[in-house]
Amino acid sequence: MAGGDRDALAELYDRLSRPLYSTARHILNDASEAQDVVHDVFLALWQSAASFDAARGAVFSWAVALTRNRSIDRLRTRTNRARLLGGSIPDDLGYDSEAGAPGIHDWAELGERADAVRTAVDALPPEQRRALELAFFSGLTQKEIAERLNEPIGTIKARIRRGLLKLRDMLAHRL
Amino acid sequence: MIDDRLEELAALHALDLLEGAELERFMAELQRNPELRSRVGDMRRAAAGLAHVAPEADPPAALRARILASASASPNRGQDSGIAPAESAKPARVIPFPSWVPWLAAACFGVAAVWSGGLFLAARSENASLREQQRLARLGLEQTRGQLADATRLLAESGREIAELGARLKAEGDLAHFKISMLASMLGNSPAALAVAVWDPTREEGVLAVSRLPALEAAKDYQLWVIDPQYPSPVSGGVFAVDPVSGEAHVVFRADRPVKSIAKFAVSLERKGGATKPEGPIVLLSQ
Repeated sequence: MAGGDRDALAELYDRLSRPLYSTARHILNDASEAQDVVHDVFLALWQSAASFDAARGAVFSWAVALTRNRSIDRLRTRTNRARLLGGSIPDDLGYDSEAGAPGIHDWAELGERADAVRTAVDALPPEQRRALELAFFSGLTQKEIAERLNEPIGTIKARIRRGLLKLRDMLAHRL
Repeated sequence: MIDDRLEELAALHALDLLEGAELERFMAELQRNPELRSRVGDMRRAAAGLAHVAPEADPPAALRARILASASASPNRGQDSGIAPAESAKPARVIPFPSWVPWLAAACFGVAAVWSGGLFLAARSENASLREQQRLARLGLEQTRGQLADATRLLAESGREIAELGARLKAEGDLAHFKISMLASMLGNSPAALAVAVWDPTREEGVLAVSRLPALEAAKDYQLWVIDPQYPSPVSGGVFAVDPVSGEAHVVFRADRPVKSIAKFAVSLERKGGATKPEGPIVLLSQ
């Protein structure tokens, strides 16, 4: 893709678009805005292709980070932030390991990793999982997450740390 | 060595949850601590996996085409920078980029912005002008409708006045043709007796109104006479009786013979049923 191969971009889209679009849509709770975000992310990938680490994992992490950041930026620029945040973040973020079965993916490895991540997240203690989900998808600050979960901020920080470390350890061979 | 506190900050940084002074301190530590950078990288990869936790949703098919079309219109940096395998690389010919080009572009943009702004203001002004014209036209229309209603009302009133005037003129014209006469008493015993006779020559018919005329005995009648110069004797207008109490009578009469013009009216006292020409005393006579 660094050489301007559009077929490579098309292949990358087929592999990454589903998790990226799902992430943007889950954060924004708006299909149209999610499409705009994914469009911008893939254009950024295309235009910055020459500077990428060739490792697939690096591309995926970079694309996810960019998708998440741009989605949260949009979320925060909405005029009535408090109201919209409240409306766009359901109490239950909707993760259900049973319902999260992967569909047909061109990139089997990515599909397997998705399964592994869901299994790993599902294995987390509920309080850690909840803290991680809010931290990743909501765009809330540490303080706001603590208020949302009605816990001291130190407790939230500790849950996030422990949860991420467990994920890292459980997925070490896949990341 | 990374302690728990730094590891916690690394986890929070991986999720972009550090802010302000806390972020600044962590970034400073990150600059000088490669182990910490590695740990943050691990945390970021673990965090990226959370993308798979979002409920799965398939992007619309049109999005793929849209992205590829945008990519076609936007060459990537690899193309722009002419990246090529090292063995075939040649010193790139650097074309100096004149420093005034951005300024020229900015100036063009400024001119375009001013021009667009002018167009916008002109359009807004024209729009306001059209709205004002429309408002004035609506007012004019309402005023015209009001004037039309007034004119219609005046016309109707004038029509009624004309009709009334016409009726009055007709009545006056008709009255001019009528023969109206006051009849005075010729009797010494009833000087207050009075009568009015009106004759309509068009219909050759008349009305006689009498008051305070003495009641008569059963064998007698009052008889009305029309005096037309064309005849040597008065023409009979018929007999009548008066109310015995009030002495009044109201009689519609016709002449026994055609009348052209009436000189006088007269009432005489005749035998019951009347006579062909006056035989008794004259009781009332027009003046």
